[in-house]
Amino acid sequence: MISCEAVSKVYPTRSGEVRSLDHFDLKIAKGEFLVVRGGSGCGKTTLLLALGGMLRPSSGRVMLNGEDLYAMSSQERAKVRSHSVGFVFQMFHLVPYLSILENILLAHPGKVSRSVMDRGQQLISELGIEHRVHHKPAELSAGERQRAAIGRALLNEPEFLLADEPTGNLDPENTAEVFKHLSEFHRAGGTVVVVTHGHAADAYSDRVIRLDQGRLVEINGERESTAE
Amino acid sequence: MILKELWHRKANTALSLLGLAGIVAFLVGFLTTADAAKRETRRITRDLGFNLRIIPGTTDMDRYWFDGYSSATMSQETVSRLAAQDGIFMSYNHLMASLKQPFQLQGREVILMGVAPTITSADKKKRPMGYSIKAGTLQLGFQVADRLGVKPGDQLSLGAKEFSVTKCLVESGTEQDIYVFGHLEDIQGVLGLDGQINEIKAIDCLCLTADEEPIKILRQELAKVLPEARVIQDRVQADARAKQRQMIENKFGFLSPFLLVVSALWVGVMATLNVRERRAEIGVLRALGYGSGRIAGLFLVKAILLGCVGAVIGFGLGNALALSVGTEIFKVTAKAIQTDWNLLGMAVLATPLFSAIASFIPAMLAVAQDPAVSLRED
Repeated sequence: MISCEAVSKVYPTRSGEVRSLDHFDLKIAKGEFLVVRGGSGCGKTTLLLALGGMLRPSSGRVMLNGEDLYAMSSQERAKVRSHSVGFVFQMFHLVPYLSILENILLAHPGKVSRSVMDRGQQLISELGIEHRVHHKPAELSAGERQRAAIGRALLNEPEFLLADEPTGNLDPENTAEVFKHLSEFHRAGGTVVVVTHGHAADAYSDRVIRLDQGRLVEINGERESTAE
Repeated sequence: MILKELWHRKANTALSLLGLAGIVAFLVGFLTTADAAKRETRRITRDLGFNLRIIPGTTDMDRYWFDGYSSATMSQETVSRLAAQDGIFMSYNHLMASLKQPFQLQGREVILMGVAPTITSADKKKRPMGYSIKAGTLQLGFQVADRLGVKPGDQLSLGAKEFSVTKCLVESGTEQDIYVFGHLEDIQGVLGLDGQINEIKAIDCLCLTADEEPIKILRQELAKVLPEARVIQDRVQADARAKQRQMIENKFGFLSPFLLVVSALWVGVMATLNVRERRAEIGVLRALGYGSGRIAGLFLVKAILLGCVGAVIGFGLGNALALSVGTEIFKVTAKAIQTDWNLLGMAVLATPLFSAIASFIPAMLAVAQDPAVSLRED
């Protein structure tokens, strides 16, 4: 389980402080498919990065399976990210000079064993990009690139998959394809948090929350005064 | 991954290599030609001539400057005595004993000059300056040879003894045009001054700078060893020698650190640009759980690889430079310019280290980069 306890994130800017998350509380159950929605600058991405151990909150705690993520050393947090968390980004962020297989295997810490290689090949097959194994990201369509990014996120069989606008650059067909893969991970017991503007993920979700100015304002379409 | 990244970002790789290979090429080229430069300078300063003269202490200096030689003489063993003194070669180098006196030759007065082989320090293994003349032979100044109509290979009598002329010197435009040079013992015999000399030519040490009043130091030292002699210094020649050597040392002394700094900045800027270009990639690696050491390692290992390749390319370029340009600059000693393979080893060891140091700050910037910021920027 992941939870946020009174998490605030404040960015100092020249024109004053910007509060991206404001005493934010949230509990995400193991195996839940959570959709986070909200306007630009409402704190969605900040929340996702904080949940993934990538962005230290200004105050509050992020608990992962009962452990305070930001009380850990940066090395311990890196280990948690490597083994328990998978990230998917809107811009895919594949390494341009590596092949699709190499990009997926990049997620594995240390030397790539035969079993890791097999796992990578299996993911590529499941994601339907086996014909692109040795291609560079620039040679793939946007949908294929995002599927490769999902493969990279899933290589280490994480507990949590955190996706930031994963379909923001995709057409409806590829959007459906991406959510199909996220849903498969979810059905296999994984926890998914998707930050998105659209409604395509709603059909797969257990819960949809909406943020506004760093606060939780809606759960499943109902206005909330307290976060649960 | 590092090799693929180097190949992918060809422009950055090529420019980084340019900076590294450039400085290695300069240093290899410089060091390869430095010996040639030293040899060349030695030749030039040798051609400037000896700048110290040790003459008998009883010399009438007014007459000496008027005649150009000392009418007094001293024993030839003084030069051996001087050379045998501990540490004397720190101040006096290339000792050449000579005897110089006027002589009537076929109705005209010439200057006979007998020279002994030059003595140098056994420790320094310096090639002796000056010239040696074989016994039984003579070298004639231009005016003497011209007047007598003598050519190399002709015989010439000095008093009762006959000599073979081996060389007729080109016109020097100095009093040496009326000189007849011979082996010291031969000239001593002709002049009836066996075992006598009236001058020891030498070169002072360049460690004595003008502000130290070198002549004062030289005189103090000589007084301890040869109280019967006195030393005079040709300041014009001494200064010319010092300037010639200092000019070369100063030029390279200024250029080397300057170019090292420029090269370090160049490599550092290239590495910084590379870090900026790879912000998202670093962010993703962070997201995948890569620690600081591993990310810094990507940049530092890359810098070391570039350093190794830059060293080899620079060594090749430096040698090509030395063997082409160096032989043009140092014409006198061109043949002595050769590839120094030891420099390759030094370059391969030092350049990766230099490259890693120059890339250290950019690597730390990569480590310190906030992945959340870089991932959100795109």
